Formats: sequence, structure tokens, C-alpha cells
Amino acid sequence: MANNRWGYPDLGFGIGLRSVHFEHILKNNPVIDWFEVLSENYMDTGGRPLHVLDQVAERYPVVLHGVSLSVGSTDPIDFDYLKKLKALGNRTNARWVSDHLCWTGVTGLNTHDLLPMPYTDQALRHTIERVRNIQDFLERPIALENASTYLEFSASKWPESEFIAALAEEADCGILLDVNNVYVSSFNHGFDPKKYIDNIPKDRVVQMHLAGHTNKGTHILDTHSDYVINTVWELYRYAHRRLGGVATLLEWDANIPGFDVVHGEALKARQFREQEDKQMPAPELEEIPAYGD
Amino acid sequence: MATERQGDRLAPPGLDRVQRWMQALIQDQGTCAEAIASERAQVEIPADQARTVVLPSKTLSSFERLDIYREMYLLRMEEALASDYPALKHYLGDEEFMRMVARYVEVYPSRSYTLNRLGDHLLEFLATIGDLPKPDFCRDLARLELALTGVFDAGETAPLTAQAVQAVPQDAWETVRLKPIEAFRLLEFNYPVSRYLGFVDEENPVPRLARKKTWVVAYRSNYSVHRMDLTQPAYELLSALASGETVGDAIVSVMTRKFRRAVKEKQLFEWFRDWMAEGLFQAVEIAKP
Repeated sequence: MANNRWGYPDLGFGIGLRSVHFEHILKNNPVIDWFEVLSENYMDTGGRPLHVLDQVAERYPVVLHGVSLSVGSTDPIDFDYLKKLKALGNRTNARWVSDHLCWTGVTGLNTHDLLPMPYTDQALRHTIERVRNIQDFLERPIALENASTYLEFSASKWPESEFIAALAEEADCGILLDVNNVYVSSFNHGFDPKKYIDNIPKDRVVQMHLAGHTNKGTHILDTHSDYVINTVWELYRYAHRRLGGVATLLEWDANIPGFDVVHGEALKARQFREQEDKQMPAPELEEIPAYGD
Repeated sequence: MATERQGDRLAPPGLDRVQRWMQALIQDQGTCAEAIASERAQVEIPADQARTVVLPSKTLSSFERLDIYREMYLLRMEEALASDYPALKHYLGDEEFMRMVARYVEVYPSRSYTLNRLGDHLLEFLATIGDLPKPDFCRDLARLELALTGVFDAGETAPLTAQAVQAVPQDAWETVRLKPIEAFRLLEFNYPVSRYLGFVDEENPVPRLARKKTWVVAYRSNYSVHRMDLTQPAYELLSALASGETVGDAIVSVMTRKFRRAVKEKQLFEWFRDWMAEGLFQAVEIAKP
């Protein structure tokens, strides 16, 4: 049963499709609910990645997740990019398409980072208009993810959660709630992560992300390089209580372990959801040393 | 002035200025203070107002928070180029490679939505700098690695089947044209760079890096990238075929005129057999009578 207004299904528990797992997936046809695909990795290639993606998309539900939409940029919208994104979405029968609330570059350049927005009225109006134009072109709603951020602008008038909620309502787009990013940004900026989740409109959330991160002491970096920490699992459980069953994806992008380790981490989310649904205490998780230690 | 006065207080800069300013800081390779004082940044926000644009956290100053983005930028660029040019990085070493990356992205910052295109201008860049060790070797190595990424991403074209080859009448081969697959690159070098790549991939011992003409065909077979070392006659013959010459003309021009006596007929057959087996050609065109 879908909780969002578009009827996008709860796909269950997926992982990001990564090239280090290609061989395992094609050879073993693992039982997994779905895959998320990094759009840009498949747009400009006619080689093995696209060949593998075609086979994966035949066997599993696929969702496209991009990093270059640059929805908050003041540069003109890149319609060549959108054309390729649209074609890839059609080719893979993508259930939905997502990217980040951020900007990646201006003046024709790309820093390839998910850069923070100042949460001002001007930025909100600007982003609403761009999201509307992008959705018109793609002929489908997009979902925007809350990125991890490492700085805040003094000009910001809105808390990020209220900004993204207002954006989603006004532009009529979805939200990809990255629970790890909520935690990372709450640590870096000193806000209450549960209040953040409370501000997110339930009927806009089409997907959740989970990932590991790197705590540098003074700040946390969103590195996707480790297991999910217990505090983030608890926050995920809280998000599930507030938002209901939402397609959940585990991201692991650096020091990537074998397929079964990544998938096993994703499946922990099922335990938390089931425990929450039964009003039982959270499953006990051992404190796991950092991956690779 | 970069900011406008509203009554007694300065109005915050607009979104466009904030973005151009932050991008200028991220791409500047000096310290954060130097970046803020740079002309490119000050066009957007004067240095004396910069500290007020970004809030400090409980543990980090405004500049330290900006530095997180600044530091990650160069690491990301290095990671992308190292993934396309692993042998060049191996040869130069981590520090020299990072220095080269820093200089490269100043001249050729990414203008694409994908980092896969970041290294496309490396050959042009290497031609403009002379302070790398063995610059000619580095350029040859980079040319080979760029060709391999091109082969990796090229469109897929089905190779000739054995049936299609067998269907060509024996007496028609002289007038046949062979069309290479899309994932096919022929390369000529002044150094043994393919052997050096083999050394990096632990396929062969380290070669002597003295000047020596070498020839390579890079291609993709069954979605895997391969490279085959060629002799000069084999390279010339493949080049002639790839340029559209008929098999007969290619053999005559290359074998008979250029390398008379150097290539035996048996060798010629072996080359064709190997090239067909590796799937280097996608089509065979028989000239109409």
C-alpha cells in the first residue's frame, strides 16, 4: 500500500547497483527487492555498464538516482542532460527518478559536489520553477533528496526540512528522505533530527536512503563507506513510524564489500520496520567495527 | 559593489552571486583566506563580508566549513582522473600525479554532467607542460589510456560471425572491405606503453622505458576491453583495412610495397584468423561486380 500521492509502491529493501557486484548479480540472480542506479554512469556509454543494466532492469525493479540535475543552480537547465535522463528512464522502465536538493555548479562548470543551498525565499521560488520545468520535460514527478551539508548560510530563513517540504508542496515533487543525511546534517549544524523528520510531509516521501558515514570529530562526512550506525537505525525506525512503509535503499560507495554484506545491511531495515510495526523493542545490534578494520 | 545597501544594512547577496562565489572558493587552490581575497571571489562578495556569508558551527569556523568542500573538490577530481589514467598515476607517483591533476583542472575544469569526460583534454594539457619526468613517455601512456576508456564506452556492434565470413566466396576476398567494430582503436607509440600498462596490471615484468616504436590495437570483445600488441606490418595492414581499403589493395600496398619479404603468407593468414577470432570487424562488404 503506497503512502505517497502518486501511488509509487513500497518496493521493499534495495541496494545501489555498483560495478563491483555486476558479476555476482548476473551469475547468481540474487533475491533482492530492487536496485537503485546512478543515472550518470549509464548515460554516455554503450559498453558493459549499459549491457549489465539492461539485464538487471529485465529482472528487477529499477529506480534512477542522479547527482547532476543541479536543481538549485542559477545556470540554465541542461536539457541535453534531461533528454538522456528521460531516455534512460524509459529504457529501464524506472519506477521513479530522483536527485538532490542542491546545486553542483554554475557558469557552465561542474564541481561534481552536492553543494548546499541558502534556504531563502528567492532560492525557494527559483527552485520551485526549475523543478516544475524539469518535471514537465521528463513527464513524470521527480523526488529530491536532502543532501548532507557541511555549512549553513547566514541568509537562510528556513530550516532545511521546512524548505524541502515547501518545495515539494509548491513544485508538486516527491521527497527522497535520506535518514543518514538527516543525522549527518543534524550533527554538523546542531538541530534535532526527529523534528526534521516531523516536518516532512508523509504523502511526499517515495523513498528512504540509509548509509554509513565518517565521523571526523568536529563534523561528519557522508562517505557511504561503512555500516549504518545504531543511532541512524533508530532514526530510521522513527521515520518509519512517522511515514509508514517506504521503499528503502542502502548506499555503499567506498570500500565496497561483497554483495551479500551490502544486501545484509539493507535487510536490517526490514527488521527495524517489522519490530516497529509490532511495537516491539528495536532489535539489538552489536557495535560493529568500521568496515575494513 | 557586490552587495546592495538596504537602509542601514547590507542586503545579502542573491543566489547567483552566492553560487558563483562559493564555486570560485572551491576551485581556488590557495588557502581559504587567499581564495576569499581572489579577484574571482571578490567580484561576487567582497573579502571583508565573506565571513558573514557562512555561519560557524560549534566546532568549526566559517572558513573551516568552506574548507571541507574545498578539500573534497580536488580529491574528487584526482579520483576521477586516477580511474581513467591508472598507469600514468603509477608512473608519476601519488604526489606528482596530484600536482598534475591540480594544474589540469585549473585549465580544464569539468564542464560535463559526468566525471567520465574530465580526462578528455589531458593529452592537450600534457602537450603544454614540460616539467613531468619523461614527458613524451607520459603523453604516450596517457594516449593509450584515453583510447582504452574510449573503447570501454564505445557503442556495441556485433562482430562478424563465422558464417558471415564463410559466406564470402573465395575469389571475392580480394575486393572485400572489412569494417571495424566501434570499440576499435589503432595506436602507434614511441615508447613501450602497452608493456608498461601490462606491468601495472601485473601481467608482465617492467619494460625498459627507452624510446622504441610500438603498435597496439585496443578493442572490446564480449564487453571486455583488450589490447593486442602488433608488429609494424600488422599495424599498417589493419590501418589500411580500417581506412576502407579492400583486402586486396591493403595487402598489396602494405605487404608487397612496404614490407616486401618481411611477411610470409602464412603469417598473413594467422593475423586474419586472430583478428576475426577477436571480433575486430563488424561487417564485410563485397564490391558489386
